[in-house]
Amino acid sequence: MPFCPGCGHGISTRSISEALEQLGYGTKDVSIVSDIGCAGLVDPLFATHSIHGLHGRSPALGVGVSLGIDNSKKKTIVIQGDGGATIGLQHILEAARRNIDMTLVVFNNMLFGMTGGQMSGLSTNEFKDYKQSADEADPYDVVQLAHTAGAAYTRRVNHIANFTPALKEAIATPGFSLVELASLCTSYAMKKVSEYQEYIVEEEKFLNDRPVGHLPLRQTKPLIENMKGLDTLFGNNLNGRIGVLIAGSAGGGVQSAAQQLAQAGILAGLHSTMKGEYPITVGTGFSIAEVILSKDPIHYTGLEKSDVALIITEDGFKKVKDLLAPQTKVWIDDKAEIESNYTQKGFSKAGGKKGAALSAIAYWLNESGVFSPDALLKVVENHKYATELQEAINSYKKV
Amino acid sequence: METKTSKNVLIDASRIITEALVQSGADVFIGYPITPSNLFYSYSKLRFPQFLAGPDEISVLQWMSGFSAAGKLPVTATAFPGLALMTETLNMAYMMELPMVLIITQRLGPSTGSATTGAQGDLKFLDGVISGGMPLPIFSPSNFNDAWTLAHEAAKTAIKFRTPVILLTSKEMVMTQKSFDVSTLEPLEPIDRSIKPYEKPYQTYKAGADKVPVFLPLANELEQVRFNSSTHNNLGLIGKNDAESLGNTWRLKEKLETRIDEFTFYEYDAQTDAKNLVVSWGISADAARDAVAHLRKNGKKVSLLIAKTLLPVPPKIYEIIDQYEEITFAEENMTGMYKEMLYGKRQSTQIKVATKFGTMLSPSEIIEKI
Repeated sequence: MPFCPGCGHGISTRSISEALEQLGYGTKDVSIVSDIGCAGLVDPLFATHSIHGLHGRSPALGVGVSLGIDNSKKKTIVIQGDGGATIGLQHILEAARRNIDMTLVVFNNMLFGMTGGQMSGLSTNEFKDYKQSADEADPYDVVQLAHTAGAAYTRRVNHIANFTPALKEAIATPGFSLVELASLCTSYAMKKVSEYQEYIVEEEKFLNDRPVGHLPLRQTKPLIENMKGLDTLFGNNLNGRIGVLIAGSAGGGVQSAAQQLAQAGILAGLHSTMKGEYPITVGTGFSIAEVILSKDPIHYTGLEKSDVALIITEDGFKKVKDLLAPQTKVWIDDKAEIESNYTQKGFSKAGGKKGAALSAIAYWLNESGVFSPDALLKVVENHKYATELQEAINSYKKV
Repeated sequence: METKTSKNVLIDASRIITEALVQSGADVFIGYPITPSNLFYSYSKLRFPQFLAGPDEISVLQWMSGFSAAGKLPVTATAFPGLALMTETLNMAYMMELPMVLIITQRLGPSTGSATTGAQGDLKFLDGVISGGMPLPIFSPSNFNDAWTLAHEAAKTAIKFRTPVILLTSKEMVMTQKSFDVSTLEPLEPIDRSIKPYEKPYQTYKAGADKVPVFLPLANELEQVRFNSSTHNNLGLIGKNDAESLGNTWRLKEKLETRIDEFTFYEYDAQTDAKNLVVSWGISADAARDAVAHLRKNGKKVSLLIAKTLLPVPPKIYEIIDQYEEITFAEENMTGMYKEMLYGKRQSTQIKVATKFGTMLSPSEIIEKI
């Protein structure tokens, strides 16, 4: 044993081994998942598979191991100390919430034995008083917490005679089980188990009857193969490249209208790009889209200065006004309260709030003759809101 | 001769990379949502054979490590804040020699910065992300065809070399949609993961001349396996700085650096008699392509190098660069991180940087520096 003389971790380790043997598990059936601290020294003591990871993270690693193996005949045993159980408390709760098929054994000696005997989040107030620690915060009850989170089986065991029977019950329970074992640190706590018993939390046991967490294997559909190709169906009158800026507000359909313009450009035999920009809170504030249409393949997708700007709202204008060059052809919705000399048009009057961007795009296509607005109509013909979108596109005739 | 019918669509690289990884045999996507990697999350939820939503990025990479140790190929996608949380576990997976692919979509920092603004500012962090100085393979796609092929190569390298691999992208690369002929994407074969012949008695970390130990998963019926993130011997048990254990740690570096020719990817467009070279990577590569085309059209002789294997730095990159009198690095960060990785911070009249912070670097800004 790699532990100090009298250390409780040796008994805990032997008890796990006995429980597994008595339940009939073979060495190739078990994966021991351990982490850092004195409890993390267990790997070489098991003739099973093992994986030794980071401080406190073994319950999370165990979730991946268990779901990855996905075999109810194989067992994932996770071992950590009380220090690990607090740094990785979220991992325990998550494993319990999902009721992942694994057994977590917490060797609780109420201190950090490997770093000098500091108190942990599982140290009781009585033990902290004994160690003259000033921390008065109550300890975590990891057994209760895991139970509340949904673990199938949770139990605290203080008496050595009950270690193996409790572990057998836990390991035999499908789903997530947690067993907290009281463990004496002879280097930093005390030398006698009888004294130690005065400082620990009483035994408790909880059950939840819940389905075991699994990760189903799915048949999925290809992401690209099923995309509809956009064949050239329309002509175009574009020479070179043109950058179109569409600037509105969230909820105004700017992003989807710009995407439909880029797709329509492909139907018109052009190359296109569409880049969206909006605040991280996508439901409010500005919504900007840049569309590049080009005879030649497009590499750089930025828009240093736009050739065309379709401004739908004040929010959009504020965001893009610096991108407007003297040569930029600008149209502004006449409902937007913007003081400027730019041409105003009734896009939102014609297309409505959600259709203003499409109305503006169709208006510009018709005015410029780059390609027919009919290409836009073609793009949306199978859309679930085809009628509304077609109305918005055709509304350019009323602008 | 059979000719392919072109199929033009409006598409983004998130979709391309996700599909490529699944076709390459990636088993499970485990993610925690973060901008601008959102599209990877939503596409993966539709496409991966298994999908799992983690409660935080530390859990995500721990779960991935468990899946990988069990013989699966896991994938995640995140941005710098998530990568920062994953860093300790990334070191663990690297030390355990667990195959996995991490897609990092760069955004404007520091800290939470601007989540919806692109950048190329995470390269130097990744250069030193493995404590001890060992290299982590980092591939960076420069266009949609790269997105397809490098995603496949990332999965292949992860399995072949038993290592995490980073696919380093940026917001504009994976969220901007472009017209693209998807018939140019050749179907991909799943990476071979059959168990290779091994020397008996099996030892988890005993490697032969190729310096990569034969991988057997947890719960296998053939041999006992022991994965270990602490310094370990060939058996996978903790070793206290003995020669065998330290040799295993050295091997992490050697297995990648001595076989880097097997995963060296770059694009070199050389012009005869050119003394100037433009070097770029990732999202800035397209601006560099346009800049070089413009310069050539105006009679300037200039060559172009697009680095795609960023780390470890392939000797071929230095070999090409050394042929030129003047080199201009083009990248979207404050200082020119790729340049600093190759040359350090020292300024030189021969080495120039065209950089941009907060917006995309344009072709004209590269031309100004040449």
